[in-house]
Order: sequence, then C-alpha cells, then structure tokens
Amino acid sequence: MVLVGAAVGVALALVAVLIPWLPPADSAEALKIDDVYWFVTIICIAIFALVAGVSLYAVWKFRAAPDDTDDGAPIHGHTGLEVVWTAVPAALVTAITIYSGIVLNQIDTVPKDHRVVEVTGQQFAWSFHYPDSNVTSGVLALPIGQTTELKLQAKDVIHSFWVPEWRMKEDAVPGITTNVLVTPTKEGTFTVICTELCGLGHALMRAQAFVFSEADYEKWVSDEKAKAAATGSAAGKTLFTQQCGSCHTLADAGTQGEVGPDLDKVLAGKDADFVHESIVNPNAEIAPGYQPDVMPGTFGDSLTDAQLQSLVEYLVKTAGKS
Amino acid sequence: MALETRGHEHAEVQAAPPRGKWRRRLTTGGWIRAAWVTPLAFVLATLLVIGCRAWLDYHPLNEFQVLLTAWMIIVPLGFLIGIGGFDYWFYWASGRPTRPEDHSGHGARSWKDYFRVNTDHKVIGVQYLVTTIFFFVTAGLMAMFMRAELAKPGMQFVDNNTFNGLFSVHASLMIFLFVIPAFAGLGNYVIPLMIGAPDMAFPRLNALSFWLLPIAGLIMLASFLVPEGGAFAAGWTNYVPLSVQQPPGNLFFQMAVQWAGASSIMTALNFLVTIITMRAPGMSFWRMPLLVWANFATSTLVVLATPFIAGSQFFILLDRVLHTNFFEPGGDGYALGYQHIFWFYSHPAVYIMMLPGFGIASEVIAVFARKPVFGYRLMALSLMAILVLGFSVWAHHMFVSGMSPWLRIPMMATTMLIAIPTGIKVFSWLATLWEGRIHFKTPMLFALGFVSMFVIGGLSGVYLGSIPIDIHASDTYFIVAHIHYVLFGGSLFTIFAGIYYWFPKMTGRMYNERLGKIHFWLTFVGFNVTFFPMHWLGLQGMPRRVSDYADRFGNLNFIISVASFALGASTIVFLYNMIVSWRRGPIAPGNPWRALTLEWQVSSPPPIFNFDEIPQVVGSPYEYGVRGARHAVLNGDRAEVPEREEVVSH
Repeated sequence: MVLVGAAVGVALALVAVLIPWLPPADSAEALKIDDVYWFVTIICIAIFALVAGVSLYAVWKFRAAPDDTDDGAPIHGHTGLEVVWTAVPAALVTAITIYSGIVLNQIDTVPKDHRVVEVTGQQFAWSFHYPDSNVTSGVLALPIGQTTELKLQAKDVIHSFWVPEWRMKEDAVPGITTNVLVTPTKEGTFTVICTELCGLGHALMRAQAFVFSEADYEKWVSDEKAKAAATGSAAGKTLFTQQCGSCHTLADAGTQGEVGPDLDKVLAGKDADFVHESIVNPNAEIAPGYQPDVMPGTFGDSLTDAQLQSLVEYLVKTAGKS
Repeated sequence: MALETRGHEHAEVQAAPPRGKWRRRLTTGGWIRAAWVTPLAFVLATLLVIGCRAWLDYHPLNEFQVLLTAWMIIVPLGFLIGIGGFDYWFYWASGRPTRPEDHSGHGARSWKDYFRVNTDHKVIGVQYLVTTIFFFVTAGLMAMFMRAELAKPGMQFVDNNTFNGLFSVHASLMIFLFVIPAFAGLGNYVIPLMIGAPDMAFPRLNALSFWLLPIAGLIMLASFLVPEGGAFAAGWTNYVPLSVQQPPGNLFFQMAVQWAGASSIMTALNFLVTIITMRAPGMSFWRMPLLVWANFATSTLVVLATPFIAGSQFFILLDRVLHTNFFEPGGDGYALGYQHIFWFYSHPAVYIMMLPGFGIASEVIAVFARKPVFGYRLMALSLMAILVLGFSVWAHHMFVSGMSPWLRIPMMATTMLIAIPTGIKVFSWLATLWEGRIHFKTPMLFALGFVSMFVIGGLSGVYLGSIPIDIHASDTYFIVAHIHYVLFGGSLFTIFAGIYYWFPKMTGRMYNERLGKIHFWLTFVGFNVTFFPMHWLGLQGMPRRVSDYADRFGNLNFIISVASFALGASTIVFLYNMIVSWRRGPIAPGNPWRALTLEWQVSSPPPIFNFDEIPQVVGSPYEYGVRGARHAVLNGDRAEVPEREEVVSH
C-alpha cells in the first residue's frame, strides 16, 4: 500500500513539475502567488497519494469473488484514527489559511510610493487614463519594477481585469471603484483579458499591455501626448482603436473585431450624417445578420462633441477605402 | 394521517350526481381539463395586464415584459389547476366536502398513471427521476453543442448570443432541473421506505411539488423561442447589471427559478416532517441510514437557503419590470448586493447538490464492501457540520468582486474549515473498504468513482479557497474544471450509483450488469479526459464563458471536445440499459444486494403501502459481519411493538 501511494505521489509530482501549469510569472505579485500555489500543491499531492494508495490497495486486496457471500470484518470505527484525520487536515488547512493571509497582505497593501492608472471597462473595450501625464489610451503601459495601483471602474456592466502573467485580477463594477496592484518585473507585451461575462463581445474584450523600461515609458507617454494633440481624423483614429476596434473590423485602423459589422463594408460610401447616427443611435439601422441592442447606445453621452466629430470624420475618410 | 381519515368520513356524502361523460371529463382534474384551463389562464393573464394598463393609462398596453411576467405566473397556475394539483385544497377552502382519499391513485398500474397527479411517493419518485433525466439529456446536448463550437478557435456553428444562451441554460437546467430534483426523486422513493413509513407526510403537497418542476424546465427551454434576443444569456449566476440589461429572455430565468425553488422548498419541508415524525418504532436518529441523515441536512439547507435565490431573482424582476433600481448603480442600486444574496443561496446549493450524494455513497459502499460504515456517528455529525459551515462561506465566490477586502479573510477561514468534515467523510469511506469483501457491481463502481473524482474536486477547491490563488484562477476554465469535478464527478456519479442501486427496487427488474459497467468506464474515462485538461487551460489564461479563445489553446480544446462527445455517447448506453431492463430485465428479488436497510426487506417493487405491517427497528442499519445483528424485525412478535402505530398508520 505504501508502495502504491508512493508511486502515485511520485507520478503526481512529475506531472506537477514537468507540465508547465502556470504561465510565466512576470510580476512581483505573481512570484508570491506562485509560492502559495506550490505550497498547496505539495499538500494536495500528499493527500491525493494517500487516498489513491489506500483506495487502490483496498480495492485490489479486498476484492471478493462473485460467489463470495461472506461479510467483511465488523469494524465500526476507530477513535484514534478519526481524531487523526480530523486533526491533521485541520492543521494543514490552518497552515494554508495563514500563509495565504500573509501573502494576500503583501500583494494587497498599497505602498506609499506608487503610481496610479485609472482603468475603465465598457462593452467591449478597456481604456486607461494616466493621471500624472493626463494621457488616455486604449493600451496599458507600465514602467518596469514600479508598483502601480490600477483603479477600476465600469461604465455599463461588470467586467474583470486579468493579465495571466501577472496573476492579478479584480472586477470592475459599475458604481464603485475597485483596485488591484501590479509590479511588473519583465518587459514585453501582454494581454488584458476580461474574465467576467459582460455580454455578446465578452470573448473578444481584450487590450494590450506593455511593460517598458523607464526611458521607453517616457517616450511612449510623449508619443501618446502627441496623438492626443492631433485633431480631426488622426484623433478619430486613436479613438476608434481605443473604443470601437474590439468589436469592429476597419482595415485603416488595423482592427479585426467581429462582434459588430465590418465597417469597411457597411460604412463604405456613407455620408457623415449616417455615420453619426450609427454611433449615437445604433438601433436606427441594423446591418443584415446582426441583432439590435448589441452595441451600447451610450456613445452619444460618453463621447464629447469634438470626439464624436473627429470619429465621424475619420470613418467617412477611411471606411472601405483601403 | 388525520386529514385523510376525515376524507374517508365524507366518502358517503360525495356520491356525485349523474353527469354526462364528457362533462365529467372536462371538469375533473386531468390532462383534458388542463387542455382548456391553461389557454383560459393565458387569456385571463393577457386581459388582466391590458385591462390594468388601460385603467392606469400606461402605454403601450401590451408591454412585452409585463405580459411575459403575468403569463409565466398565471399560465402555470392554470395548468396546475387543470391537472388537479390543487383540487383538495380548493374543496377544503370553499367549505365543500373534500374528495375522499381512497388511495386509488396509489401505485401505478400502467405507464399512463405516471402522467397523472399521483400521491404515491413511489410513483412521484419515478416521475421525478424520469423528468430529471429528460432535462439531463437536454442540457447535456447543449453542452455538446458548446463543445462543437469550442473544438476550434474562431466561430463555427453558433453566434455569441446563442452560445451565451447555451451555457446559461445548460447550467440552469443541470442545477435546477437535474441534480437537485434528481436527488429529491431518489429521496422521495427511498426515504419513506428506509424509515419504515407508508408514504411521505404530505402526499398531496408531494404531488404538487413534482408538477411545479416540468413547468420550471419548460420555461427555461422556452426562453430560446423569445423573438427578441433568444434565451437568457447572462450565465446561471445572472449577475446584475448585465441581467437587468438583457433582452426579455432573461425573465424566463427569474420565473423558472421561482417555480423550481418553490418545488424544492415544498419537497424539503415534506422530507423534514416525514423524517422527524414518521420514523418506524425503534428508528432513533442514531439508527437512521446515512442517506436519511443526508436528506435531513439537505432539506434543512433547502428550506433556509432557497428563499434567498427566489428573492434575488424577484429583485431583478422588479428592477426590470418596475424599474425599482435595487441593484442598478444608475439609480443608486448596489450591484454587489445581488451577488451577496445570490451566493447566500448558491453556495449552500452546492451542498444541496452534494450531501444526498454523500448519503448514497455511504449506503452503496457499506453494502458492496459488506462492512459497517466506518465511524457512523462522525459521518452523521460531519453532515451537520457542513450544513452549518455551508452558510458561512458564500463570499468565497466573490474574492475578486470588489467587495470589502476584510470580508475575504473570514470567508477564506470558513472555506478551509469546511474541508475538514468533508475530509472526514472521504477517509471514512476509504476505511469502510478496509478488510471488506468488495463486490464491483455498477453502483459500487460509480460510488468509488465518485470518491476519487470528488477528492480531486475537493482539492482543487482548496486551491480556490486560498485567496491569492483564487485571484489568479477565478473566472477561468480552472473553475469550469472544479465545478464539474464536484458536480459531475461528485453529484452525477452518485446519482448514477443511486439509480443503479435502487433500479431493482423501483422497477422489480434487474438492470444489465455488463452494460452498466461499460457505462461506468466510458463515463469515467470520458469525464476525466474532458475535464482534467481544463485545469491547465484556466491556469494558462483561458477565461470561462467564451465562445472563442486564443489559438494556442486549440489542440487541447479539440481533444476535450472529442472526449466530451464520447462522454455524451456513454449516456446512450445508460438510457438503453434503463429502458430495455425496465421492460424485459430479469425479475428482481426483494433484496438482490443482501442489504440491511428497510427498503430491501420488502418486495420489489414494494407493496402499495410499503409495509404490510409496521417494522420494528432494533439496531443499526449497517451491521454487516456482526453475527445475529438485525436492523429491523418485520414479522416479529406484535407484542414487542410499542404503541406508536398512530404515528405511521394512514
């Protein structure tokens, strides 16, 4: 029985170690969470090996012949054993609870010196506002090695912010502001995934996240400022990639969303009034094969007149032209 | 049962005046009366809405959501009145002589009797099981539809709206129309027999609670037919604000939950009263089989918790139809308030779906290992511990929801604590196997499959109970894997174990053992290949409830889809075995498993009133291997039986 249990334990340990169960850990928080993960894994392997060892041994050793009409040994219980298998799991789960509590405190305490990014979720796109440089963008950019507090809000329904490599996740809830901390430790491009069902475009609600060196981050900020200063269709393009591209395909902006119609097709040759109406009152004319009420009817309120105008200008200029 | 006795007195008064044959058919409870009362109720509901709106000057008069609400309340009531579910109470309330309960409705002589309002707990148990298996197959087909869509990245067969509808209705049917009522069905059949009672305490209530169930299921299915937007598609959790902003199909979830919940609560009350008051002489609590204990704990959970989900869905209904803004942040509502109320039911619901399975596993393992259940009292007490703790862990579903951060800590502690009684049960089942003489009949295979799969589901639950890991894993495919290990590997395996175990008792025939074993191994392998890789998908970054996913997950998803079709195919073996064995299987003896509990001491199927004489319980139900020990005396000396007959007589 011990042999069976040990064999199962070794096999499980190999499965746990050899298969890469977790994505790369690219934030300080991820490293701490992974420590808890491995701590729990070791305990679970031990328990499962014990259970598998006992049960495999028992079903082999105590199997009865079909014509065997005898009964088993009339064992009703064993107080010592019952105390042990109450006390030992109690100790183990207490250890897990305490360790989890300590790690939670570490990854959840907002340090004095930290940056802030305001994250807004809406159907079906993320937007990121950087208060210290007053930049708003459709991508999340963070300098490496600094702790950033992401303040999450939602415009319509609940969304959830998750970057698997950072391990950190938190819901964005309409009406309240929630927060989550991230300290990225590796430069690169990551994907922000919405993990709370938010409607028809949920599966496609993604945003890019960049982790830059300090110098590259400053450069990114100044580039964004330049984009924001642009007017007319250039500003419209920025807006489009931030707020529309996750659902709509538009060749000029390089977006490939499939929740709503392909704008190169349905807006080709349309005038500014039609485009404007389609944005502020999406149900006015529904493209064939699509359903009403999928596109939020709130863009007329959430976009300023200037933004709306630049967006319309951009779409009239580019839709169906490339 | 006093009420019925009074009914007998009125039997003479009830000499019905001669009436035409058709008039009698049209006015006595049954499908013919239902066929005209149901449409009448539809018309009345429509007139009520339009009349009230015209009187109050609300426009438009035919507001679709209001009409749907009225229809889904009044039309099912019309159906229930038509089929005769309320007859007795109407007679009683109107002061007319109540119909005598002559028990002619007891027992089923032909298949048609299963389609009538029947007060026999054995008939009702079978009605429950057949109905729930129908919805199980329907919801399973929906799952296979989803797996077909998910076999490749990108969109293949359905659009996003249909996909979201499929997983929402799949989960709702499996939970409210399969797992919960399937256990209620098994309990309905078995519990009165196990405690030596002739029926449930309230047979008419029992009949009514069954008939609410198909109503709930049909409402859920009907949501696919809604012209604007189709089925409810906000998940079975139906989080606000998404659910409030959904097309009218979402109303179908709110109303179906009311009907299913009412059915659940009424059955649970019935179980509680039956178990507390109708035990045979000598059947003390410490002599009850563990399934009865499990049902006692489950019913307590149902009675205390189910009103919360009913409330949560009523509030959404009011938010949608009356614009009350309980939860809508736009009108000062609090979106997380919904989640607290919802999970205050829906976490205990996990134990509602699990504890009866624990009970079935205990029965089956003891019988097929030929040993007493190890640590019987601790097994019963751990059920009660889970019952109490189960109410204090709800917010572990909300660790990343944005609720008060401090609340996560106590919820983590209680969540971890609940692993202790659960662990006790697993270890005790293993110890029950020790030095037994294990017979690997199909029920035992499913019970052992349950223990091993449930251990995996329990351990992944420990991962999720730890807040730092949950921050990463929640709302991903890891959750999908976890809940299916608990509800499929846990609940469904025990439901199969129970169906095979009591099949001979219910039908009087044996099932085909060879097909049963094929069914088990197909299910066991198909289940693991389908759901185990989902742990990896979730940890690596695949969120749940998506119709499309990153290309790098394509291969594994394809394997999962293929395995899920094999898993679905295994159900065909099960259905074939059940149907053919029911019709042509070898005749079952009264006690094919040599079990000690009371239901096996009577013929298969049992006599109409279960026991020809009241059994006298004299010992524990699991005294296998104890020389001369007995659980009950059925043909014993009448003088030994104490004067408690009135409690159980009818």
